Amino acid sequence: MQVTETLNSGLKRELKVVVPAKDMEARLAERLNDAKDKVNLKGFRPGKVPAQHLRRVYGKSFMAEVVNEILAGTQSILTERGEKPAIQPEISMTEDEKEADKVLSGDADFEFSMSYEVIPPIELKDFSDIKITRQVYDVTDEEVEEQVKRVADSARTYEVKKGKAADGDKVKIDYLGKIDGEAFDGGAAEDSEVVIGMNQFIAGFEEQLVGLKAGDESTIKVTFPEEYAAAHLAGKEAEFDIKVKEVSKPNEMEINDETAQQLGLESADKLREIVRGQLENQFGQVTRQKAKRQILDALDEAYKFEAPSKLVEAEFENIWNQVTRDLEAAGRSFEDEETTEEEAREEYQRLAERRVRLGLVLSEIGEKAEVKVGDEEMQRALIESIRRYPPHQQQEIYEFYRQNPQAMANIRAPLFEEKVIDHLLAEIAVTDEKVSRDELMADDEDETEAKPAKKEKAAPKKKAAPKKAAAKKKEEGE
Amino acid sequence: MTELRHYDVIVSPAITEKSTMASENNQVVFNVDRYATKPEIKAAVEALFGVKVTGVNTLVRKGKVKRFRGTIGRQSDVKKAIVTLAEGHSIDIATGL
Repeated sequence: MQVTETLNSGLKRELKVVVPAKDMEARLAERLNDAKDKVNLKGFRPGKVPAQHLRRVYGKSFMAEVVNEILAGTQSILTERGEKPAIQPEISMTEDEKEADKVLSGDADFEFSMSYEVIPPIELKDFSDIKITRQVYDVTDEEVEEQVKRVADSARTYEVKKGKAADGDKVKIDYLGKIDGEAFDGGAAEDSEVVIGMNQFIAGFEEQLVGLKAGDESTIKVTFPEEYAAAHLAGKEAEFDIKVKEVSKPNEMEINDETAQQLGLESADKLREIVRGQLENQFGQVTRQKAKRQILDALDEAYKFEAPSKLVEAEFENIWNQVTRDLEAAGRSFEDEETTEEEAREEYQRLAERRVRLGLVLSEIGEKAEVKVGDEEMQRALIESIRRYPPHQQQEIYEFYRQNPQAMANIRAPLFEEKVIDHLLAEIAVTDEKVSRDELMADDEDETEAKPAKKEKAAPKKKAAPKKAAAKKKEEGE
Repeated sequence: MTELRHYDVIVSPAITEKSTMASENNQVVFNVDRYATKPEIKAAVEALFGVKVTGVNTLVRKGKVKRFRGTIGRQSDVKKAIVTLAEGHSIDIATGL
């Protein structure tokens, strides 16, 4: 096998491989020899077929197998050269049928060329140069208390009272909504319970209930907001005929063991503990997100190299599809987003390149550090992702993942990334900085706007796989 | 005899173990028409393959009686011709006509 390099520019490589007819012949003979004792041809007892006849019958198909074998073995060529292809190499052979026929009959040398892009060698730098500040927020007692109250609210009891309804009271009403004097769909209900001040109704509706007594009848005028879910109501003015049946006031709320028990917990302390845990978890995630972003930024700074264009292209397609689909779903155009298509394209192109680059760097780091994703973790993540589907589909989706290594890779990728980040967090210099809640949250939002990259990163990939699953299922169904 | 008749005389080459063995004696085996005579076969082979034939032996392999779902059927008879070629002549059966 002779390998000659015909192109070597940047990351692009093109190789021309020539396999002499003699080599092909030798391989073919081997195969024929192998088949000799097995084939069952008419007119011959097994194993008695003359070689010449066997070759005449099976020669071409065996040769095709030999060719396939050689093509499948191209990986070894690359390993020999010490290069890692970014994508599956593209292999091109002669298009001419006569020539192909000649190759198959063993008269001509087998030639093909393969083009691919290499993953640039990444020299890992010392991580200890990377410094990040991790913003940490301690959950205060007041916040816990507040959250506990909110949780306990659902267990609040009400007591019927006489007199006028006030803010915070629960009112039981019948209502009938009219637009221009005509009742509209979904505008009427009986015995509807409204808690004033919860803002569950259209703005202004609840406020106008204040001051009504049980037995009162009244008319309330409200304007539906412009962006109301039901299009035929949006922006319209409506009148509601109200009949108040009952007014009840909330009982005093106290966080004690009793309320906790109503929520299915042993004691108030336990409730607080759980709520605190949840809050801490929530803030911890934000902290981690921000730390991760800093690391990625730092890596982005540290590793500037040309990313394989094919990969970037693929990633860009991914993003672009996602973006355009989102826009379409929202019924908006680029003009609405105060940008043009070209600008957006450019922006996402940059984004794609960054992602590819970071992805390569992270995988390299992970490989060096021998970060591995265990089977158990995979299983857990798999179950996690499956659980988002309706129960009757879960089994099928599970099967889909089991049989589709590509889909499994999609699940594995984020896990691997998280683990690498964990590894990095241990390696690099991290300074903890106490910040207030607002700082932690507010800052975060700014950054997500500046770089929609991070948030989207995991999402589109994950989404892609299930959709395939659904599509696949459809096919099977029909 | 016309050229066309030659094609009717010779049905196909017989490629079997036995015919392979025969080829070592410079003999070629053909399945031929059931009613073709030895001179006809000789003429046909000589004309179609451009070789010189020194002898023709023929045999008729009778068709077997076969039963399928109780009905009796009979395979057709096949006449074979073992053609001996003159020295220096040969036929490459693989290339066909």
